[in-house]
Amino acid sequence: MLTDVHLPQTAEAAVELLQDGRVLLGGGTSLMARLNDYPSAPTELVSLRRAGLAGIQPSGSTVTIGAATTLSALLNDQRLSYLAKVVRSIASPPVRSLATVGGNLFVPQPHGDLTVALLALDAELDLLNPDGPSVQSLGDFLDAPVRRDQLVVRVRFSKPGPSAFRFLKAGRRRLNSAAIATIAAKVQLEGQRVVDIRVALGGLAAGVVRARHVEAALVGKPLDAASLAVAADEGLADISPRDDAYASAWYRTRVFPVHLRRALLGR
Amino acid sequence: MSARIVNLVVNGSRKGMIAYPETTLLTGLREALGLMGTKRGCAQGACGSCTVLLDGEPVVSCLVPALVVDGSSVQTIEGLADGNDLNDLQQAFLDGFATQCGFCTPGMIMSAEALLARNPDPTLEDVNEAISGNVCRCTGYERIVSAILDGAHRRRTRAAATASPEDRDALSPAPQPTEATS
Repeated sequence: MLTDVHLPQTAEAAVELLQDGRVLLGGGTSLMARLNDYPSAPTELVSLRRAGLAGIQPSGSTVTIGAATTLSALLNDQRLSYLAKVVRSIASPPVRSLATVGGNLFVPQPHGDLTVALLALDAELDLLNPDGPSVQSLGDFLDAPVRRDQLVVRVRFSKPGPSAFRFLKAGRRRLNSAAIATIAAKVQLEGQRVVDIRVALGGLAAGVVRARHVEAALVGKPLDAASLAVAADEGLADISPRDDAYASAWYRTRVFPVHLRRALLGR
Repeated sequence: MSARIVNLVVNGSRKGMIAYPETTLLTGLREALGLMGTKRGCAQGACGSCTVLLDGEPVVSCLVPALVVDGSSVQTIEGLADGNDLNDLQQAFLDGFATQCGFCTPGMIMSAEALLARNPDPTLEDVNEAISGNVCRCTGYERIVSAILDGAHRRRTRAAATASPEDRDALSPAPQPTEATS
């Protein structure tokens, strides 16, 4: 049960409040749904709504997004048009007006599709700890255990080159469905050959993961159906899907090569 | 924690409501302010029957703690009609038989209002996306979608009729209205 709701005005004040077991509240689209339906121990919330953590700052080729920025704010920003299809694939407008960029980092599978995109974009995080700020790559952050005393302040990545960013989310419905499989990639090509590539996956493992075997199988190869079929086969080592209400592990494994090809080739 | 007062501007009027930590914007609107038009369907943010406009943005009010929205403006279904005169979108729902049990209707209309505020000339796909978070168990959605397109057309037509000659030149012509079959 909720016993208090705090509204700190700064990130520092928020971190201080977190030190006594209080629980962070972003948009509430995950946490409030759980609190509404299940009994909980006495819980104090720390809302980030007034902590000054929302905002989008592109500076040259670097994009910096405050962790409390809502998904709909991302959608409305013309400078982030390459992320529009990512945001549109998540939930629906009245949820996106509340859901935050930072919150998407913590939601359980098969949710967290913005995180998949950010991982492919090599994002790094500005964090605030009890003993001061730190920076961590999103990949390292996702590999580490969740810290309850730490605040994600900002997400930062380099704007992808034209047509470098690819994204596909396969769901049960065309709109408003969690993922059967989400695939995001940042591709650097020379002619038709892959010079460098990042591939991130959602809905296919215990968390959002890098598809390192897929990446290794594609570097130096042409980006075509044949290479992708080989890469998908290698990529079976990257995925460990589970059964859930959206799809079975068997099904996810079965369609993974198809969605990988569609994400990267558009067909 | 003792109760606090949350100050809101609801449908244009200043309201103060008593809120506890567990009070959501939904329960506050319904129980503290007596505005029953906004519905509780799932308390999960999944059905959309609790959709209201919070500072102009559509939100699922069941997921918003009342204590975090002190000072905000809220628009609910009750704020649309002028006395007994329904607004153009509400009238389009009525004329198009877009409501059966009516439970989803306030949420549908608030999502549509948010859409039209941002995009006065939506496509079918725009409407589908705008109401993608609003579930209806009765109608099969077709009449809701055509009522929203019809309401959008009525609003554009009225705006064009009341526009100055300069504005009128700038406004794009209205498309053919969607005929609601009876």
